Amino acid sequence: MSVSTELLQQYILTGLMIGVIYIVMALGITFIYSIMKMTNWAMGEFYMIGSYVQYVVVSRIIGPDLWFIAVPIAGISVFFLGMAVERVLIRPMFERGMERRDEYATIVTIALALFARGLIQLWAGPFERTPGSNMPSFEIGPLPIAGDRVAACVGGLVALAVFWFVIKRTWVGLALRAAAQSRAGVQTAGVNILNLDQIAFGIGVALAAVAGALLASVYLVYPLNGMVTTTKGFEVVIIGGLGSIPGAVVGGLAVGLAEALGGALVATNYQNAYGFVLVLVILILRPRTGLFGETTRVA
Amino acid sequence: MIRARLWIAALVVMSFVASACSGAATGPLAASQAPSAAGTSAVSAAPGPDIAIGLQTPLSAPGAVTLGQQIQRGSEFGVEYVNTVMGGVLGGRKLVMYTEDTQGQPETGVAGYRRLVTEKKVVATFGYVHSSVLLAVNEVAKGLGVPTIASQASAADITKKGYSIAFRTHLIDPMRAAAWLQLIKQKGWKKIAIIAEDTDYGVGLVNETKTQAPTMGLNLDIQTNVVDRTAVDMTPQLLKMKDFKPDLVLLIASAKQKDQIIDQAFQIGLTPAVPILNSNDEPTATNFWELHPKNGVGLMTIATFSPKQPLSDAAQWMAQKYQAKYNEAAIYASLNAFADVIIIAQGLELAKSTDPKALISAFETGSFKGWPSTPVTFPKADGVYWHNWSPPVLIIQFTAEKQDWRDAAILISASK
Repeated sequence: MSVSTELLQQYILTGLMIGVIYIVMALGITFIYSIMKMTNWAMGEFYMIGSYVQYVVVSRIIGPDLWFIAVPIAGISVFFLGMAVERVLIRPMFERGMERRDEYATIVTIALALFARGLIQLWAGPFERTPGSNMPSFEIGPLPIAGDRVAACVGGLVALAVFWFVIKRTWVGLALRAAAQSRAGVQTAGVNILNLDQIAFGIGVALAAVAGALLASVYLVYPLNGMVTTTKGFEVVIIGGLGSIPGAVVGGLAVGLAEALGGALVATNYQNAYGFVLVLVILILRPRTGLFGETTRVA
Repeated sequence: MIRARLWIAALVVMSFVASACSGAATGPLAASQAPSAAGTSAVSAAPGPDIAIGLQTPLSAPGAVTLGQQIQRGSEFGVEYVNTVMGGVLGGRKLVMYTEDTQGQPETGVAGYRRLVTEKKVVATFGYVHSSVLLAVNEVAKGLGVPTIASQASAADITKKGYSIAFRTHLIDPMRAAAWLQLIKQKGWKKIAIIAEDTDYGVGLVNETKTQAPTMGLNLDIQTNVVDRTAVDMTPQLLKMKDFKPDLVLLIASAKQKDQIIDQAFQIGLTPAVPILNSNDEPTATNFWELHPKNGVGLMTIATFSPKQPLSDAAQWMAQKYQAKYNEAAIYASLNAFADVIIIAQGLELAKSTDPKALISAFETGSFKGWPSTPVTFPKADGVYWHNWSPPVLIIQFTAEKQDWRDAAILISASK
């Protein structure tokens, strides 16, 4: 089909903007894996909790004009929640040298996801909500776009910048990068690896919560709103490479673009499938590492 | 190690309990009335040789939970009406209602129907909202023999297949499509952009619209966009629709996706320049303006109940009770579910039996009091009108912010 240049530009812009949010989501997943070598299947529920925190704070306390204050509140509160969850549920698997850690991590995090979903429905009901937004619309080139969507994209970039700063410019970040390279090595340097795990888990789920808070007014707040985003996050991680932060960035943008262009130019009813097509391509071409992942040697 | 296993086991158990209880909202953010717990639960007015009926409706996502909640409320009043005002059925026996959450998913609906029929021994099931769910359930129901009533599911095939167990008290797709095509003809619109969910409901209505348009003398330029029901960002499709420069956007989706499309169309400037016509009566629910405080004005929507329509005495009883309990007016979904319960009760009285075959025969031959002042019948008619009673269909338009749907402008009023 023929498409005008302006329309194509709009699709690309839309895809890139949503891709930024996918990056934030995927970064949380890949960061936890790079430090703890485990997959957190409950990332979508932390996204959902972040969106509910945003909704409660904005609609009940500060109002939609001060929405940007609620985003760090959501991130920080879920950071501490994540640390508590890690301490109670995840750490026991590391403390005693459990053999089948991956299976336990899967069971625990899936159970946690179901529990969180059920708990939110008990508390808030199954209905959709919105924190509301007073942001005006913008025009970015040819694309008229809602202010809260622009804010979500900008907020996502800010979150990525903060994350980069913490990882690259702080002592905690240095320790985390060392743990990602070698858990045994960082312990011989005197660092408490279990405390690092707790911090890493907290940071990872906080990123998911920030994504949820940023998108609360865009995609609505409801108990299952984390499910689709979790799937996207894992698509991005597989494409970019598990444990690779540059991979998460490239993968997020790739999935966002694939969905926008595929849904508009190919067929609209397979929008969620285009990311999976990319996954299949990567699994065929680079099945072990994705685009930027690295093979690891297990001694 | 043992402590870790205990924690994990506790979490797994709690997760299943929380999931099972997840339909009941009791916390500070809960809507004014919590739906019953998902899974099977009972509403019973009194002990004794009770007769069981089964409510299958969406009470959690991804189903249309707002409608499901309304249906549950109405059906609870229906049970109360039968057990108190009617004095029970078949010599004073009380009705007991068991509830199954369909979640808007066919497989969940089928599993729930089997449980209701084989374990709870219900004599009839009702409350269906999602056509996909009821189409799947009816394939099982035709074997098990317990009748189903479509309270709010409109796909033609539900009754068109001519199954003895299939009944409907809701408008059908041909009527819905005819109403908006009538509006399109009145307005002289030529270019129509449709965005529809990829379900029997969505695709069925698209096909019905395309089929009926030429028969009404309309030569329309229709752009169709069928979207994945689980998609949350429809901006690419909406941009394509905006580029098409339509006269009307026809929105055929339900639950959260409908709300997301309304918002996203506004965000890219497609609306309010181009009007949206929503295909179901969800915007008449009370949370519509909470979700769309700014972009709800101008929305046109299908409705199935006019405030000017006289109600039966039973429906008036229910409307008063509903207002007193929930501090809001009963809408069609609640009234219709209420009516379905009292129709089942009347059917049992006519059949003088709880045997499903006798009940089906009673439905086919009887004339029943429903919610409107005119009686409800289920004729053995041809095609989609088989076992079907339809309310009149309206198209209303919100003309002011936070407008009560009863004050909205009525653009079209049609009946079979």
